[in-house]
Amino acid sequence: MNTEQVLKQAENLLGTWNKETSHPDPTRLDAVVDTNDLHASVQAVHEAGWGYLTAITGSDLGLVDGRMEILYHFCSGPAVLTLRVRQSRDVQVVVPSIADVIPPASFFERELQEMLGIHVEGLNNSDRLFISDDWPEGVYPMRADFTLEQAAPVSVSHAAPLPEEGVVSGNTFVVPIGPQHPALKEPGHFEFTVDGEIVTAARMRLGYAHRGIEKAAEKRNWNQNLYLFERVCGICSHTHAMAYSMGVEKLAQVEVPLRAQAIRELVAGLERVHSHLLWLGVAAHEAGFDTLFMYSWRDRETVMNLLEQITGNRVNYSANVLGGVKCEIGPEQSRSVKEGLTYLEGRIRHYLDVVTTDVMFLNRTRGIGTISFDEAVRFGLLGPTARASGLVRDVRVEAPYGAYLRYPVSAVTETNGDLEARFVVRLKELLVSCFTMRTIVDNLPEGPLSVRVPRKIPVGETISRMEAPRGELFYYIRSSGGETPARIHVRTPSLCNWVSVLEKAVGRQLADVPMLIAGMDPCFSCNDRMVTVSRSGGSQTWSWEQLRQHGIEYYKR
Amino acid sequence: MATNVFDMCPASWKQVISEVRTWARLNSIWAVHFNSGSCNGCDIETLATLTPRYDVERFGIKLQGSPRHADVLLVTGPVTRQARERLVRTYEQMPEPKFVISIGSCSISGGVFEGCYNVGGSVDEVVPVDVYIPGCPPRPEAIINGIIQLLTHVKEGTRPVAKRPEQTAEVASSQQERVVA
Repeated sequence: MNTEQVLKQAENLLGTWNKETSHPDPTRLDAVVDTNDLHASVQAVHEAGWGYLTAITGSDLGLVDGRMEILYHFCSGPAVLTLRVRQSRDVQVVVPSIADVIPPASFFERELQEMLGIHVEGLNNSDRLFISDDWPEGVYPMRADFTLEQAAPVSVSHAAPLPEEGVVSGNTFVVPIGPQHPALKEPGHFEFTVDGEIVTAARMRLGYAHRGIEKAAEKRNWNQNLYLFERVCGICSHTHAMAYSMGVEKLAQVEVPLRAQAIRELVAGLERVHSHLLWLGVAAHEAGFDTLFMYSWRDRETVMNLLEQITGNRVNYSANVLGGVKCEIGPEQSRSVKEGLTYLEGRIRHYLDVVTTDVMFLNRTRGIGTISFDEAVRFGLLGPTARASGLVRDVRVEAPYGAYLRYPVSAVTETNGDLEARFVVRLKELLVSCFTMRTIVDNLPEGPLSVRVPRKIPVGETISRMEAPRGELFYYIRSSGGETPARIHVRTPSLCNWVSVLEKAVGRQLADVPMLIAGMDPCFSCNDRMVTVSRSGGSQTWSWEQLRQHGIEYYKR
Repeated sequence: MATNVFDMCPASWKQVISEVRTWARLNSIWAVHFNSGSCNGCDIETLATLTPRYDVERFGIKLQGSPRHADVLLVTGPVTRQARERLVRTYEQMPEPKFVISIGSCSISGGVFEGCYNVGGSVDEVVPVDVYIPGCPPRPEAIINGIIQLLTHVKEGTRPVAKRPEQTAEVASSQQERVVA
């Protein structure tokens, strides 16, 4: 079935619920539905197995327009279906929850509640996920009339009890983890309820690294935003900048030169290698395999050298400009890329050997945190975490963009769905990436590096999807014709993958938790300090280090 | 208790004891890392300084899990509202003498995130900072240089007089104003 037929099928599924249809571009179907019909139409799309829910974008159309818009984006291959709900912003906006049909939607719906003050009926979770505890009630940062003065800190008395105060009830107790991690990355907070060694419930709190980038983007011009979005994440900065600039280029109807597209893909490939090697080291460290940690980080320096040689910086490389790239690949760069790749391929094969044969390591990975194919679909997993369960979720393969049309990649999948499979998928994926990069370097098209993009971007909205090292990255960009964007919404892959940790930790040993968290390659890690309240009522302070140690000791037995 | 014994010592012993302490401290700086809302860029570079290529462990520097065992607090990122209190608590848990190194442009001035609704500003508005390492992100060499500056001061028994890169901050904020306007 081609994209047109897939979209036709979606249109038939919606039937009379669809009040107004448009095709913003050939791969998209935009349907306006009534709030009352929303739940039924989502159910119809979901039950027919049409794609998966990729994001929910809420946006305030402003005081002049006087409406709020909630967009439900579904993806099936390259086809994107958007269900559009519009309501007046002068009264309380209420939408029904669809989390009973699609569980991962609850994260998106909590975002709607916190950022725009949209009441999601049927979502019984008013815990804050992103905004801080001292944020005043009834103030919503993404609303058009939000000012910084409204957000003056209030006392935190209304907030949930402090995580350090472990809660004991009956035979269970709560183990808080977070928000500080000694080794690296971003902070987050988890609470695992445990009965003895077994985890019985898991809860999560984000927002320690929430900076308010989407709002800030509305105040900066299109060019400045490129550098802002690059700093959403320092590990996959190129993918963010690329998703943003490809979206803007689509809006401005600018054709990026082939050479620039190829260089973008090359840098994206190098970034994937650096990101996966980084993850391999960290995950090995959590398992107590520090030798592998040190080796993989040593080899990662090869990629860092290449990135530096090509772009001039080790991290946040700013390879993109709107309309192309700013770094050239000369003969010298091509030679070093090829030399570097040859070395890395050898090393990656070696690591593949290690993670599939080392008995001690397999004890920590084989058969642990197994996610079946059906579960992966139900949880809405993305990227390597999904591919380890045999679910092909790879934008590069499903909906090739930019240079991936000329230099296609194949999807790497495994079927076991356990931690071991996630190691194998990521490492095999690197070999595919290395092969593609070599092809690009050998067949670089001639031509200019960039074309001019106007300062003002024409009115319109677009969706930009891209495969980041951790999974599908989703950008929604709307322009009102000015020098600054009207709304940009970013949905990062980690948000979708959290479900895999929260669901899979339940029923497992506490000792497996560090590996489960590492297994999904969270684009933020957790903590340093945790308090365990023992059954006798005395409390004991544990650091992440000790939890890690506990995991290692536990498996020595 | 330990202080009392130290106080009872004769002056010559005190001299020897502090020399031994300084020597020990110089050769085993333990650091705790706190991410106060960073984009991860500085964090991966901090970690890169600890791994084989740059290997700061040759100076006895080690990343330590608990703030209670740490001499140096490495802070990355602008301070977000949710992380602010945690940063103060982490700092307060560290034993004296303690030092703070602020890594990256964001931690110095808020950087690209200045003016965002959930960002409080620089690290030095929350905890006293001894060494600033600018860069987005700073290279591992720069981070090592910052640590060596700190070590030099520890050796001399002085506290580094940190100079905030005012120029950079001013330029950043004037740019910011222009953007908002």
